[in-house]
Amino acid sequence: MRRVTPDTIAVVDLAVCDRCGLCLPLCPPEAIHLALNILTVDRDECTGCEKCVAPCPVGALSMAPLTPDARLLAPTHA
Amino acid sequence: MPDVDVLVVGAGPAGAVAAWEAKGAAPELDVVLLERDRAVGSPVRCAEGVGDAGLREFANPDGADWVSRRIKDVIFQAPDDTEVVLANSGVGWILDRTRFDAYLAAEAARSGAAVLVGTEATGMSRNGDGRWHVQVTERGRETTYRARIVIGADGVETMVGRWAGLDTRVPSRDMESCAQYVLQGIDFNPDAIYLQFSTAIAPGGYAWIFPKAVGVANVGLGIVALKTDGRNARQYLDDWIARRFPAGARTGYTVGGVIVHTTIKKAYGDGVLIAGDAAHMVNPLSGGGINNAMKAGRLAGRTAAAAIREGDTSERRLSQYHDAWMELIGDDHLKYYRIKQALEHMDDEFLNALARTVNKIPAEKRSLGRIFTQALIKHPQLIPMAARFFV
Repeated sequence: MRRVTPDTIAVVDLAVCDRCGLCLPLCPPEAIHLALNILTVDRDECTGCEKCVAPCPVGALSMAPLTPDARLLAPTHA
Repeated sequence: MPDVDVLVVGAGPAGAVAAWEAKGAAPELDVVLLERDRAVGSPVRCAEGVGDAGLREFANPDGADWVSRRIKDVIFQAPDDTEVVLANSGVGWILDRTRFDAYLAAEAARSGAAVLVGTEATGMSRNGDGRWHVQVTERGRETTYRARIVIGADGVETMVGRWAGLDTRVPSRDMESCAQYVLQGIDFNPDAIYLQFSTAIAPGGYAWIFPKAVGVANVGLGIVALKTDGRNARQYLDDWIARRFPAGARTGYTVGGVIVHTTIKKAYGDGVLIAGDAAHMVNPLSGGGINNAMKAGRLAGRTAAAAIREGDTSERRLSQYHDAWMELIGDDHLKYYRIKQALEHMDDEFLNALARTVNKIPAEKRSLGRIFTQALIKHPQLIPMAARFFV
């Protein structure tokens, strides 16, 4: 899927996230995963559209710069 | 590799009823009900309100230990706190979901289904043998279940739907972001539920007080993020409670999403059915989903049992589940969804005026129908909404 913003991706603060799963069906490329009580954003799939950010009831999601390092270091979920 | 006939993912109301209905309809089948969390019914992500008639199709609330409170009245509150009381407007219940969900799961077990807690499905694929191979993790141990039919009753965050290639995504405008406290030591009518509509308090949704006991209630709200001023649901709730119940003790807290959309286009596929919140089967006007989930679970369980007996678990056979749901409730949700869209255009000033109009109708004559008629006479700007609803 085409990137909406070329330089940012969604990131989750797991200390704030309540694992409610609200953000999963909001994500157009289905880049957000909830498994074994951990919420993850697949950095290869996230298009930077921000649709998950405002609806989070506790403000656990935000946008962060997408750096080449971030891509390399991020866990991905095929 | 455990081989089962029906694997139900998620032991909420949809899943538990699906499991017991499948087993009840075809006792020879192996039915397994998986719950990701360590306890069925926990954590509670729900305001716990349910209508009487729908509930009684599945469980008798009279004297049940899974009921918190019987409700007799509905009190609508305008943005300026003007109250419109609908006395004896229909009986309902506030459940104790930790006990209610456990009761339903126990009924599923009593019917002969196996209930596994702390057991999470983490992926599934369809292999050449015409079965779903479902990866299941229990305390770090992985097992693959082979299932003829998988019923995805795994809630708003459904992964089963996604794994099966079904579209369970929802537009932002149809997602209610909700936050709720259990408040103790607050003053309200414990026989009534309160619903307050206001774009300042809960834009795109409403705020609620659902009594659990005298002085104790689920106090929460739902908002649509697109309509907010930048605060999140929890911040809206904190601000509302600071004004309404500054002395209330917060003894519980939950957040979550309520999808106020219409049923997903396709709640079935080869060897798979999706039920309840996962299939967007919540009433889009009220946000209520418990009774609908149980009704969908019943249809899914019975369809699965019949399909396996016939030896045909194809998408075509299972589409009968979707058709039955749409006929039973799903088509009505299209109407409710249109009303919801019309209500979105009412501002706080208008809602305050509407409340004062309705309060001129004597309380004993205050039926929803009469309120609607009076509202149309005094507020002709509502007529387009009525036309959309009734035409």
